[in-house]
Amino acid sequence: MLTRIHGGRVVDPTAGRDGVGDVWIEDGRIVAPSDRAPDETIDATGCVVMAGGVEVHSHIAGGNVVMSRLLLPDLYVSESAPNGHPFAHAGGSGSWVGANYARMGYTTAVEPALPPSNALATHLELADIPLLDRGGLAVLGNDDHLLQLLRDGEGKAAVRDLVQQTLAHSRGLGVKCINAGGASAFKDGVLKLSLDDEIPCYGLSTRKIMSALLDAVEEIGVPHPLHVHCNNLGLPGADDSLVATLEAAEGRRIHFAHAQFYAYGVADPENPMTGGFRSAAERINAAMEAHPNATYDVGQVVFGQTVTISLDILRQFGGRKGAKPKKWVLTAGDAEGGGVVPFLYRPRGPVSSLQWAIGLELMLLSSNPERTILTTDHPNGGVFTEYPRIIHLLMDAEERAKEIATLPAVVGERSGLPKIEREYSLSEIAQLTRSGPAKLLGLTDRGHLREGAKADIAVYRDQKDRTAMFSHAKLVLKDGRRIVEDGEVVAWISGKTLSLDVEADAGMEKRAESYLQDRFGAGLDTFAVPDAAFPENTGTFEDVACRA
Amino acid sequence: MAAWVKGGAADVDAAVAAAADLLAAARVPVLAGLNADVAGLRAAYRLAETLGASLDPVAGNSIYAELGALSAGGAMTTTRAETEARADVVLILGNRPWDGDLIAEIAAAPIRRGRAAGSERALLSLGGPQNGAIRHVAYGADEGGLAVSLGHLRAFAKGHLAGEAAFADLARRLFTAQYGVVIYDAEEVGEIGVEMLQGLIRDLNESTRFFSLPLADPFQGRAAVQLSAWTTGQAPRVGFGRSLPEHDPWRFDSARQIASGEADAALWLAALPAPRPDWLGKLPTIAIVGEGSTEAAGETAEIVITVGVPGETVGGALWNQRRGVIAYADATAPSEAETAAGVLARIRDRLIEKGVSC
Repeated sequence: MLTRIHGGRVVDPTAGRDGVGDVWIEDGRIVAPSDRAPDETIDATGCVVMAGGVEVHSHIAGGNVVMSRLLLPDLYVSESAPNGHPFAHAGGSGSWVGANYARMGYTTAVEPALPPSNALATHLELADIPLLDRGGLAVLGNDDHLLQLLRDGEGKAAVRDLVQQTLAHSRGLGVKCINAGGASAFKDGVLKLSLDDEIPCYGLSTRKIMSALLDAVEEIGVPHPLHVHCNNLGLPGADDSLVATLEAAEGRRIHFAHAQFYAYGVADPENPMTGGFRSAAERINAAMEAHPNATYDVGQVVFGQTVTISLDILRQFGGRKGAKPKKWVLTAGDAEGGGVVPFLYRPRGPVSSLQWAIGLELMLLSSNPERTILTTDHPNGGVFTEYPRIIHLLMDAEERAKEIATLPAVVGERSGLPKIEREYSLSEIAQLTRSGPAKLLGLTDRGHLREGAKADIAVYRDQKDRTAMFSHAKLVLKDGRRIVEDGEVVAWISGKTLSLDVEADAGMEKRAESYLQDRFGAGLDTFAVPDAAFPENTGTFEDVACRA
Repeated sequence: MAAWVKGGAADVDAAVAAAADLLAAARVPVLAGLNADVAGLRAAYRLAETLGASLDPVAGNSIYAELGALSAGGAMTTTRAETEARADVVLILGNRPWDGDLIAEIAAAPIRRGRAAGSERALLSLGGPQNGAIRHVAYGADEGGLAVSLGHLRAFAKGHLAGEAAFADLARRLFTAQYGVVIYDAEEVGEIGVEMLQGLIRDLNESTRFFSLPLADPFQGRAAVQLSAWTTGQAPRVGFGRSLPEHDPWRFDSARQIASGEADAALWLAALPAPRPDWLGKLPTIAIVGEGSTEAAGETAEIVITVGVPGETVGGALWNQRRGVIAYADATAPSEAETAAGVLARIRDRLIEKGVSC
């Protein structure tokens, strides 16, 4: 069926488009304008037409996400469901995740923490998120097998083969390292770790582990660069950790997760740990300017109650006493494990206000929104459904000033946000939420509206109230099918799980089997993610090719 | 694959239709047992939602002893493999951890990773059977039981009680750990006991690393908790009677609902073996049971449908006790049997055809 979306303001920065025009669709793909009469014309007059949104870092599945629901059963509210998807109104459920992303015009979302030791459950949960294509990043950097190889100096080929074998078995879309070596060190009594500190028992450092993973990702040709969660998240002086890690990449491609939580310069050099922090947004952006090999996502904070979920157990243990309410779960897992710590970003509190300001400042100072991806590190900085409000604040300086006026003076004293006049354009928003994240993930078939792209398209009413505009898309198409109309889901389809097309090296597979049997008394089959495990119509995987 | 309706052999299509009729006529149906693979559990949740029924896994009591304490105060946990490889002090609570091979395996495993590598493991027990076959230091429980004992132990550990009591000695030993682990069964220790134990572990972590290793129930309860959490945002027990998932361990306790007369129909799902509930036969019931099981007979319930046994005659994603994760188990002796998920989906489809919706 040939469809023409007609008369809307088409915003696609990858094609230099920002003006009234048409988008043509056939068989789930965007096609060139046709001489044929369309079978269907969608009137987008008065609307903005963009590619579907792409999420690179949102904790939407996995053991720790499950744990957060058990720890805080009252965090989300379930509502009475109208006829439709059975569980979409169950607060915090996978269906709720899919429905709420889709309503905002998002069509792809990636879980950044796919633990290879628990990959099947994570994928089963991802598969139950409707409406979106989804994927997961395999986490490496604390597992004994990898650390042993590095300790024993086995060389790049062995590390590459282990990373590839792990990717293949966990069906990951990319590789992430989370405070590399930190979980292992924590189990051995370490409570603070920096880039070159020694990881007990292995004689390694975060730098050595990360460097090996950076090489492996390049050698395998993983489209998404190594996704890095640095040391010392959230501490005053964390900007030093991010910049040092950036330099340690030595020009290799690297993506930094939730940079806002690292944009904390020491406020009082005489008392670095007790004097609080000030914005290091300028420093972080200057460092990014100087290192075109790097990207980051923001991890914007929003005010209110949330729960922090991280495989950085060292950090989560350190933050446990700030839990609100005062309860938390920490799992010393087979590799990372994880920590679940409830947290309240106190509305108009001085610390949370400064965090809020730093995230916005990062984005507003960025010279290239394609390298500055919008995230809240859901739910760590806040729930992803706050994206429309964040977009509003980026696009409207007056609205921003109104909000800043309600906040404590520290926002002006320790960040540069109040002085920034910049307003994001719609094209820049598309870079921040569409083309940037799609390019970052190496997904060439989405994030734009050029010929050949998937027909994942969001149509918004062009309203001055950008919060309202981006909260409820007028129309969302997934693979050319209408899934949202007037902000409500109208077709409950299942997307695909995107996984990298890699095969495990036979020699490493044999070696891994032997290692796992020795360590767990169980082999690779208990780590596998077979198609047969997935209920019909939910678990279809789609291969993503490696870089040439 | 076999089926019975009111004691007489029936074809599966007829049994599915009868099951849908029985459920459609019910006002307060319950789905119980839930000992099945993840696909079967998933199908049960969808069926319950369509019906407005509640769900209660057979592992409910075990799940709740753990989850009640978890949502009240949190937990610090580790894995079996990390315990075997790293733990230099292991405290075994009560009797149940001694069932099976876990303790013997830990006792036999050398400490080979982490800062305690190469040292000798101290195996300690509190309120256990004093198993003489495995070398360990045994401490008796208080008369008040494990929960009270844990309260006393924590008081000694925190310095709130002093003296030369056995618990003072045990507390001292716990503090010597470099990587300590407490192994327990939540149902045996009880919710209050688990909460006290997790408090003790938090206290120990002020000066060392100490974790818990709670044992999983043998009835796929851990898998049901995960599936339930990602499906409804809540742990089981869950009810759909008011068109939204409501989590309430008391209201949706199937035994209570049936004993009180609140429930008027039940579906018992036991694709894997589960203890036979004493209410079978007391209300109209559909039993979906594993082929070849002792329950695979016409007298088990009003309607009985046999299904493949996950991990035996059909493949399925199951809780793997050794790994502590959901893992896929291939069929070891494949049969042509339909899966529990398939049968439940057919019943649901039939209900939807009949226009039944909560």
